[in-house]
Amino acid sequence: MKTLTKIFAAVALTAAFTAQAQDVTTLLKAADKFRMSADNLQVETQINVVNADGTPDKERRYKVFAQAGRKSLVLMLSPAEKGQKVLMLGDDFWLLMPDSQRPLRITPMQKLLGDASTGDIATMSWADDYSGKLVGEERCDGAPAGAPQVPCLHLSLSATRKGVTYQRIELWLGKTRSEPLKADLFVLSDKLAKQATFVLDKPNAATMVTEMVLADQVSNHKTTQVRYLHRKERQVPPEWLNPMFLVRNPPLD
Amino acid sequence: MKPLVWLMLAWACTGAVSAQSLDESWSLSGKLRTQWEGRQVAELGPLAQANALESGTVNLAAQGTTAQVELHASGRNWSAIATAQQQAWDAQRGQSTASINELVATMDAGSWQFSGGKKIVGWDVGYAFRPNDMVQQEVRRTLVSSTNEGRPVVMAEHFGAESSWSLVAVNPGGNVDCLGGCEPAWAARYYQRLGAADGHAFARIADRTGLSAGAALAWVASEGLELHASVRSLQHADSKSMNLASTALVASNPWQASTTPGATQALLGGTWTNAQQFSLLLEAWWDGTALSSDQWADWRKRNQALGALAQRGAPVSAVAGNLAWQSESFGVSSSLQRGNMYARLSWDIDAWQPSLDLLYHPADAGLMVTASIQWKGDTLQVQGGVRVSTGPDDAVLMQLPLRRQAFLLANWAF
Repeated sequence: MKTLTKIFAAVALTAAFTAQAQDVTTLLKAADKFRMSADNLQVETQINVVNADGTPDKERRYKVFAQAGRKSLVLMLSPAEKGQKVLMLGDDFWLLMPDSQRPLRITPMQKLLGDASTGDIATMSWADDYSGKLVGEERCDGAPAGAPQVPCLHLSLSATRKGVTYQRIELWLGKTRSEPLKADLFVLSDKLAKQATFVLDKPNAATMVTEMVLADQVSNHKTTQVRYLHRKERQVPPEWLNPMFLVRNPPLD
Repeated sequence: MKPLVWLMLAWACTGAVSAQSLDESWSLSGKLRTQWEGRQVAELGPLAQANALESGTVNLAAQGTTAQVELHASGRNWSAIATAQQQAWDAQRGQSTASINELVATMDAGSWQFSGGKKIVGWDVGYAFRPNDMVQQEVRRTLVSSTNEGRPVVMAEHFGAESSWSLVAVNPGGNVDCLGGCEPAWAARYYQRLGAADGHAFARIADRTGLSAGAALAWVASEGLELHASVRSLQHADSKSMNLASTALVASNPWQASTTPGATQALLGGTWTNAQQFSLLLEAWWDGTALSSDQWADWRKRNQALGALAQRGAPVSAVAGNLAWQSESFGVSSSLQRGNMYARLSWDIDAWQPSLDLLYHPADAGLMVTASIQWKGDTLQVQGGVRVSTGPDDAVLMQLPLRRQAFLLANWAF
């Protein structure tokens, strides 16, 4: 009888874990829709880096082709980086420099370089890369600043793949619509690297994230504003995601 | 075309872009560079010996300045890179040069791409040595990097999702006897993505240098480590040769163009990067087209013998000229020695990047050290550095015409 009880308990526990995992996946998929409104997107992005004392540091413009299956191509448009491209196919990354005729295989660590790493710009979904648990319901700051606190769900996520920028994420989503509100981003050493807050288009009926603000917690304490200026659904030809094609500097419009 | 005209053209184009008067299908950008280079001539080596015997045998400038404009234009299946520069050494009257680095027309047929014109084509995976750059054959590890000058090519390429191949007619219609990268040839490259690795296979065939085949691999081994390797086997390679065992004076440059039979080139390297943005690149390579240790030993003996001839009353001018010709050995191959080791340590800290690179020759313990620092703003980039050769007096690196070099440059992108 005791054995039967244990089996029932184990089955119930497994079912509970599975249900929770499914819940987390569903929540992440819902949250992803606020940044990745279609499977294949073209996103124009602007980065503004602000020093710890509030003075502007630099501005960068990017065009991102975020495609299904964890494939992204980032085109750098600002004069300082013009012609540079970063290709991300799953856990594999290439850097393409305009003055070089060879694509450089880069490591996940090299992808992290910069105030807003390429991963921050190109990665716009969590559901494919993370699994985790629902920690519980909490109260989060409302938007805009000073608005009443809103109920939110706290998720603790771990990377399921080695190539992601952050190995652990503590994520807070709106309870009603699962819109992303804020996140603590941890690197491989489990050090808190950045804190992200998300700015939504309509605070009371959000449909998309218009801006992600990243506060550096490790080195320079700079703040990076990642603004999504324009999104449109677009599937790029398969050869655009071949590093040997990109190194030819073809027109990608 | 005079550089001044190029400069004006570049500026005119830039103005046109900013005024948005150009068709939007065209993209224009460019760089303006000013550079200063200071040099300290070596006290050792055949050129130093020649100048000691007869001052002014070979004049090496102590410093120079360069102003350069580089313009990139692309659109409507055309792309072009043009460079114009004004260079002045030791306050002499400046020398102007202009070149079309690239001018290529492309035809886009989806996964098929066709190109024709002058094009920069680089294939290999290494940094300091690239044996499989079968088309470009560019100079590596220059003091300051600059845009290469492309080769005349006709190319057909096919791109899949994870593979591609390229077939290139290099220097079509060119002179068969043209040395180095200007020899007419057929070259091919096959690329295959292998998960975390990129695999490449290469082949080249030409009338004079025959067949060569190579392979390369770049592999991301872990979170912070990338490894790469290249190998190439050549039936023949363009070279220069002379009878180094001879100690006699000659009346004309004894170095003659020649073809080296059966050489192998191979490179093994890796890059390690950590979370603090330190990066270490290590490479070791073997270049079978370079002069061997025995040949360098004969070369040193000839330098000594020529010096002794002057002491025994041989005509000073003739000895000095023969010593100056000895420096042709530095251009025999892209590597001075067959065995080479290279390390580059760099650190990205905000807009700054200090770096230190070392080239070491195990055969004679010669060492070349380059230290530089770069600051990168939005459109302005400033870089300065020094390069020094060191090691035993008879090391080949110590025999080079220059012992120390320093540079300072500013790049403005528009």
